[in-house]
Amino acid sequence: MNFRLTFAFAVFAPFLSLTAATSLEQAQARLRSAIDEVLALADKAKDRATLVSRIGPVLEKHISFAAMTRRAVGPGWRTFTPDQQKKATGLFSQLVIRSYSNKFTVGEHPEISYKSAAAPASGRVDVTTTTTYQGNRYTVIYRMEEAEGWRTTDVVIEGVSMVANYRSQLDPVYKRGGADAVLNSLTQSVANPQ
Amino acid sequence: MKTPLALSRLLIGAACALLTQCSIPGKKSATVVPAAPTAAAAPAAAAPTTNPAAVPGDDLDALDDYAVIEISDPLERVNRGTFWVNDKMYLVLFRPLSKGYEKVLPKRLRKGIDNVFENARYPVRLVNCALQGKFRRAGLETEKFVLNTVGGLGGLLRVSEKFPSLQGIPEEDTGKTFATWGLGHGVYLVIPFLGPSSLRDGVGLIGDYALNPANWGVFWGGKHDWTMIPPSANTLRALPAQLSAYDEAKRDSIDPYIALRSAYVQYREEAVKK
Repeated sequence: MNFRLTFAFAVFAPFLSLTAATSLEQAQARLRSAIDEVLALADKAKDRATLVSRIGPVLEKHISFAAMTRRAVGPGWRTFTPDQQKKATGLFSQLVIRSYSNKFTVGEHPEISYKSAAAPASGRVDVTTTTTYQGNRYTVIYRMEEAEGWRTTDVVIEGVSMVANYRSQLDPVYKRGGADAVLNSLTQSVANPQ
Repeated sequence: MKTPLALSRLLIGAACALLTQCSIPGKKSATVVPAAPTAAAAPAAAAPTTNPAAVPGDDLDALDDYAVIEISDPLERVNRGTFWVNDKMYLVLFRPLSKGYEKVLPKRLRKGIDNVFENARYPVRLVNCALQGKFRRAGLETEKFVLNTVGGLGGLLRVSEKFPSLQGIPEEDTGKTFATWGLGHGVYLVIPFLGPSSLRDGVGLIGDYALNPANWGVFWGGKHDWTMIPPSANTLRALPAQLSAYDEAKRDSIDPYIALRSAYVQYREEAVKK
């Protein structure tokens, strides 16, 4: 039995590591193309309003808002009805898109340097980049997952995870008032003028 | 009269210079380039219209990465009050100051001034590197300081950036040193003027303040008014970045107080690891 296991491992191990390497490359390549697409848009935009209107559809293509919302809400997500889940995802994606768009200043071009990629779990890749923007350098990690292609599920800037940050805000709301309270909070945040 | 005057100068100086090193998370206001991948861009899978429960391979309980990082906050009511007052003060006082500063001085000059003050902060980094036993990093910091001071016209230019080994050296501070020694955060604090902190990091700010040459005039400059110039200038030049970081953390939040608290704790956790 032990011999069989050892034999199987010896035969398949190189393929396993090959698969992992391919995942890393695929995820990183997807990230690069997404970032290039966004930067091209940002470079062309003449004002913030144009930038915001154009960036939304691109983000929807590249970010898994469904996974993001689920994790931002946390374990309470399971008690949401499918309609509530859909509504929460829609509202949360609006928040994230607005938040992303606001990070750009028209005329400023960030420099992205790809540092490393690691697979902390199967179907998941963390791509570490260094972003230089307005003279400052930031470590930004893109957490990506393979679900209908590689998509970003979280962005961690200088150690601050966007999803974890929202979860810390939504968790107490859920504990106080359940799914309805979460939906109300999200609706209010989206309605808040920025 | 002498003592109150000295005390008030010390307090004003402390407030000014501490604000400069204030621990609003993410000190720099990052630009995040949205990201990620996807092959054929499958519009049907685009988030808002997708049934969230349909995404495979997800187990909420296994996602420890997203567990809320806790910090004890027994003073939450007081902290929320201070947070509210700070927020109004940033709006009424500091933001106009910051905008005025940005309007009056050209960007390149502001960058140069930032470089000078960051370079002068060398003793904070050196002492804390040494206290944490990071002697190699202390050497790199010294190399960087000498290069920027001598070759960069007193620190105005950051010539060290041309050397890969001197790029991206993690910041050091006294709070980080305490953490390395095994001290936890203690309770969460929102300090008037300064914003998010903790008992540990708040005490650490005092060490940083004393080690920063920009503040040394307050201690040893006698009763001359010029001693207030370096700490005040240091505060003013740091305002745009600090306020930008604050706005960044607060914007699009559901509960701004918790958003800042969470960002602060995560940021410091990461800083301590470096």
